[in-house]
Amino acid sequence: MSGIQFKNVSKLYQQGENQVLALDEISLTVEQGEFIAVIGPSGSGKSTFLAIAGALLHPSKGEVILNGKNLNELKPKDLAQLRLEEIGFILQTSNLVPYLNVLEQLLVVKRMAGKLAKADKEYANELLQSLGLAAKLGKLPEQLSGGERQRTAIARAFMNNPSIILADEPTASLDSKRAHEVVQLIANEAKSRNKAAIMVTHDERMLEYCDKVYRMEDGRLKHDDSFSHEKLKAISSKG
Amino acid sequence: MFLAIKELKHGKLRFLMIGVITVLIAWLVFILSGLGNGLSTLSAATFKNMDANYVTFEDGSRSSMSRSLLSESLVEKLENQTNVSAASAMGATMGTVLNNSKSDDKEKVDIAILGITPGSFLEPNVIDGKPLQAKNSLEVIANDTLKKKGFKIGDILKIEGSLEKMKIVGFVKNETYNHLPAVFTTLDKWRSIQFAAPGSDKGIEKPVNGIMLKGENVDSAKIKQLFKNTETVTKAAAIQGMPGYKEENGTITMMLAFLLAISAFVLGVFFYVLTLQKSNQFGILKAIGASNRFLGRAIVSQVFLLSFISIVVGILLTYGTALILPDEMPFSLDLKLVVLYALLLLVISILSSLVSVRKITKIDPLQAIGRME
Repeated sequence: MSGIQFKNVSKLYQQGENQVLALDEISLTVEQGEFIAVIGPSGSGKSTFLAIAGALLHPSKGEVILNGKNLNELKPKDLAQLRLEEIGFILQTSNLVPYLNVLEQLLVVKRMAGKLAKADKEYANELLQSLGLAAKLGKLPEQLSGGERQRTAIARAFMNNPSIILADEPTASLDSKRAHEVVQLIANEAKSRNKAAIMVTHDERMLEYCDKVYRMEDGRLKHDDSFSHEKLKAISSKG
Repeated sequence: MFLAIKELKHGKLRFLMIGVITVLIAWLVFILSGLGNGLSTLSAATFKNMDANYVTFEDGSRSSMSRSLLSESLVEKLENQTNVSAASAMGATMGTVLNNSKSDDKEKVDIAILGITPGSFLEPNVIDGKPLQAKNSLEVIANDTLKKKGFKIGDILKIEGSLEKMKIVGFVKNETYNHLPAVFTTLDKWRSIQFAAPGSDKGIEKPVNGIMLKGENVDSAKIKQLFKNTETVTKAAAIQGMPGYKEENGTITMMLAFLLAISAFVLGVFFYVLTLQKSNQFGILKAIGASNRFLGRAIVSQVFLLSFISIVVGILLTYGTALILPDEMPFSLDLKLVVLYALLLLVISILSSLVSVRKITKIDPLQAIGRME
């Protein structure tokens, strides 16, 4: 079974004397080639959801199956390996390594996995080219615009050819034109490379690129029909 | 290594500052070690050079030549002991000499007058002139530092407070005793200088200060049993018994130890602060799959590179310093010591970086995901 599955996942935080239920019995399946969005107000549990999907946090209850592997059964070291091989993170901007240039941001991912092969360099070049960064290979993050940085982060997420892409507020610091470009790129890359992609966002303008939209409220996840792909397509074509 | 080098290049100023501190520490360590080595050479070079393994002193002299008085007749008896391949007597006294060959010489020079048996294993090889002769007790061989004070082969040395004179016939190299240039003479000549006053030999027949023994695994307890009035110690212990030797070395060693401990903390704190500063960055790298091993290696290799370069610069500066130090300074760099301290510094800096590595393993990759609810 490829893609990612949540089976009755709950997460409970201890805050002083109170217990906070950040996730409440969430079940969800994202297939390969599918791009879904999770929206919701801040404090609704979106980040917890993403952290659990990204193998950064253990659920209190329930299980997450990623590409057939139950994350509960893996040791911390194996989880790091899994994040490296199976998960592509697209984080909020400026999460690039400040002293590496655009090309090196991608190559360092390969170095984490071991040796850097010549083919990896070619693949990195190709990825960056497809994201319109061919002219920026030697630039450091501080020399890039917000959009370019985010595109570099996208390329980095795809570098290890992961089976799942997780995007955490990828448009948070972008103007709306750049934001559209970036989400469209994630959608295109996920589709063309057949990845399961989850985007956590509060930016509802970006939902037209998603196959399904889930709304998170007080730790509960609901499929939100009002943003269904077909509907959105229809609206945008009319407009 | 990749991350390490990239970051070093990116943060030049920051790493330059740490590098300069390491260079200064390394420089000071090497200078101190050179000074320590120079002092101990000055203090006991002759002992160190001697091809002997044990020294027999008078009982109660606590391994000091100046406190010990034995009869030369013991030499033969000691030579017959198990594992002793050779034995030879030695006497030492300090003196002040004037160069009698120059009529106007007023410059007094302190020397150590060492009585030995000519041709024995205690006699150093001359670098200039000819060796000691058993028959001619006027002739002596002197350390070449006397050359710099204007002495030449053929010069007559007049000993102050004595009627004795000596004639330099050869020079030896690197022979100092009790911080003074050594002048080697025969035992008879030495006795006539040392025991000129009646009764100063305590009635001992052919007195000497100590007897050097050659040979491995000499049973000093057995020698003590056979010759009640003696104590036999290793050469190393005898060197420790040189006046001032322990104190000088102790001081330098203590300074070195403190310096090394300080360097460990300074470097450790520096890298720890740098690591703290980058903890968010490490969190992100961990989130995208970097293992603790990968990040730990980056830190350690960075510290290694930085320390290695700094230590090499420190060594170069030290050798540069050695060139401009005045000749009278007891400074001598021993390559073995330099390498030893270089390795020690390297090991210390790497160990100090392990605190940072430990910190890295504790960083939670979760902090890469924006704000946690």
